[in-house]
Amino acid sequence: MIDGLGTASYDAQSLPADDNVNPYAFSIALAGEWFVSKGAMIAYYGNVDFAGVSQYASRASWVAARFSSPMYADEWVVASGQGKVVVADRGHDVNSYDLEDGNLTIKQANLLGFAPTLELKQSIVPGFVTLIGTGKFLASSNGPVIFVEPPFRADPEALLGWSDCPSPSQHYDHHWMAQSFMAGVQGMLGRESGEERQYDFTGAGTILLQSSEKLVVDAALLRTVESHTNLLDAQSAGALGQRLIARSQQGGR
Amino acid sequence: MAQLVAQKRVLLADLTGDSIRAMSGSMVAYQGQVEFKSAGMGGGGGFRAAIRQRVAGESISLMECTGHGRVHLAYQAQDVTVIGVQNDTVTVESEHVLAVTRDLQLDVQFAGLRGMTTGQGLATTKVSGSGQLAIVSDGPLIGLDVAPGQPVVVDPDAYVAGLGQLQMSLVSGVTWRSLVGEGGGEPFSLRFEGHGRVYIQPAER
Amino acid sequence: MTYEQVNSKVVRVPVTQSRPVLARRGSMLGYSGQVSFRPVAGQGQGVRSMVGAALAGESTAMMVTEGDGSVLYGFRGLYTTVVQLTGDSMVVEADRLLVHDAHLQTSIEMVGQGGVRQMARGAVTGQGLFTTRVSGQGTVVLLSHGGTFPIQLNGDTVGVDPQAYVAHTGALQVELKQSLGMRDLIGRGSGEAFQLHVSGHGVVHVQASEEKF
Repeated sequence: MIDGLGTASYDAQSLPADDNVNPYAFSIALAGEWFVSKGAMIAYYGNVDFAGVSQYASRASWVAARFSSPMYADEWVVASGQGKVVVADRGHDVNSYDLEDGNLTIKQANLLGFAPTLELKQSIVPGFVTLIGTGKFLASSNGPVIFVEPPFRADPEALLGWSDCPSPSQHYDHHWMAQSFMAGVQGMLGRESGEERQYDFTGAGTILLQSSEKLVVDAALLRTVESHTNLLDAQSAGALGQRLIARSQQGGR
Repeated sequence: MAQLVAQKRVLLADLTGDSIRAMSGSMVAYQGQVEFKSAGMGGGGGFRAAIRQRVAGESISLMECTGHGRVHLAYQAQDVTVIGVQNDTVTVESEHVLAVTRDLQLDVQFAGLRGMTTGQGLATTKVSGSGQLAIVSDGPLIGLDVAPGQPVVVDPDAYVAGLGQLQMSLVSGVTWRSLVGEGGGEPFSLRFEGHGRVYIQPAER
Repeated sequence: MTYEQVNSKVVRVPVTQSRPVLARRGSMLGYSGQVSFRPVAGQGQGVRSMVGAALAGESTAMMVTEGDGSVLYGFRGLYTTVVQLTGDSMVVEADRLLVHDAHLQTSIEMVGQGGVRQMARGAVTGQGLFTTRVSGQGTVVLLSHGGTFPIQLNGDTVGVDPQAYVAHTGALQVELKQSLGMRDLIGRGSGEAFQLHVSGHGVVHVQASEEKF
């Protein structure tokens, strides 16, 4: 006989339908298709198939229209079938959001899944994607999400997303910069602590914040940054390459 | 008799002159007269255990805590769950065993099916007998019942423990295999059938 | 002028012209209002604390937040504990200070009685003996992995893993001890070779993890 483990047990029927299992896991009641971030699925009951987005798109043409971000296609799968799919992310808090004919921009690494009624596009801000339309999506955060309103300046590492307000501009803290210039350290490229540069939000809308994160370098972010280097000519690209090599040899981040 | 009590992320072990076995290095504080000494692998001993220990690595080595007093045990701020076992068996991924009272037997089986698929978990521990077992998990445990006709598929990296009559197999259907090579994710999953319960944590190891 | 615990990992701090705060660099998550940030080198004054700061390394580098506004602080998902000081003092492991009122006095010190030799050993073994003493009237926010729990001492002794020690208040003596009978086990992974022995009257704050940061 075993006791003490009976506090939170479920079967295929009693597992929540489109609701949180606990603050750190969410159960999708699947009847059809869902886009799920690769690696987010931790368990499922029922008849569920998983296929890569690009692979699924080859037999379901609507997928390409909904998932218009080739950059992230490798990071996502389509879950299809009938059942319950439980998703989680590193023990982080998981929340569901309902968009109604709206749009919300969110850090790609924190987006865990979204209903196919929503459309995903890449944001201009690197590492972020925008969801447009009506439907449910799931996102993780380091600690509960904090909602604030503009005017507000956010540390890029703590920024989880924003809704309705215009895209942010960058703000440099002149006190911080003056100190750094005087000290003759910390070039424009390289070591930052987060206090010298913030995203500046104005207008009406909502900003989503989380506790700052250890930098998660996903393959997609690398590709995004790399694609931006197309703006450079060969000579500048070479100079950038040398600076990046110097930085990696210093072991800084 | 030593008593184990879970307080969210800390396990309180009250010793009354007896001993418990706990994950090495998991003591964060103690009061009273308590001695700590290495207890190797726990379960058996001798040459075979030594070989297993080598293979399975240090992550599952145990220490013996003996004396009178209260020991606070914790691991990486993970959630602690205490289970009472009476003449039964629980199978736990070894790195999740935080502590056991003295009358529980531990049998470590290295590199089970899960270990082979992920190359991460190297050892599974069978805990049997009567006593208290404390396990740690990254976030609260979620129990998923398995019944005839109702199998469950779980991510090997989220799997923590299982009990009952369970058969485990790899999910390696066409759709799964097609995902391999796209990098990351769950190229394989574990499918449990039979009658029992599987415990998972809301995080991947 | 109260600090607001927004959730277990984030605090909101009101800042005014007359009440600047000191915070760990890299801990500002966002703000509203007119505030600015200025890096400061080390804490405390005098040669001894400068040596301490230098030894403790850059991880404890702080910054001043000035102006008028409201600032959110948090650090890498670590848990925060808000502590009110009412004229007494608190000893905190140096890199666990998230934010505190700038008017509080701080000085770097070593816990343990061993003086320079102990200090050197602490630096070499990385057993975390560098602490900051914070005193005065005001608010201090501590960082921990998974939160802290208090152990009340009334003349008795508690053994604490140096990795799990966060802070203490009250009249307590702290000694670093190599656990008896442990010596031969080093390398065989019992993991508890060094312990902090804390005794006296006061409260020790311990985290449920052996993760340093």
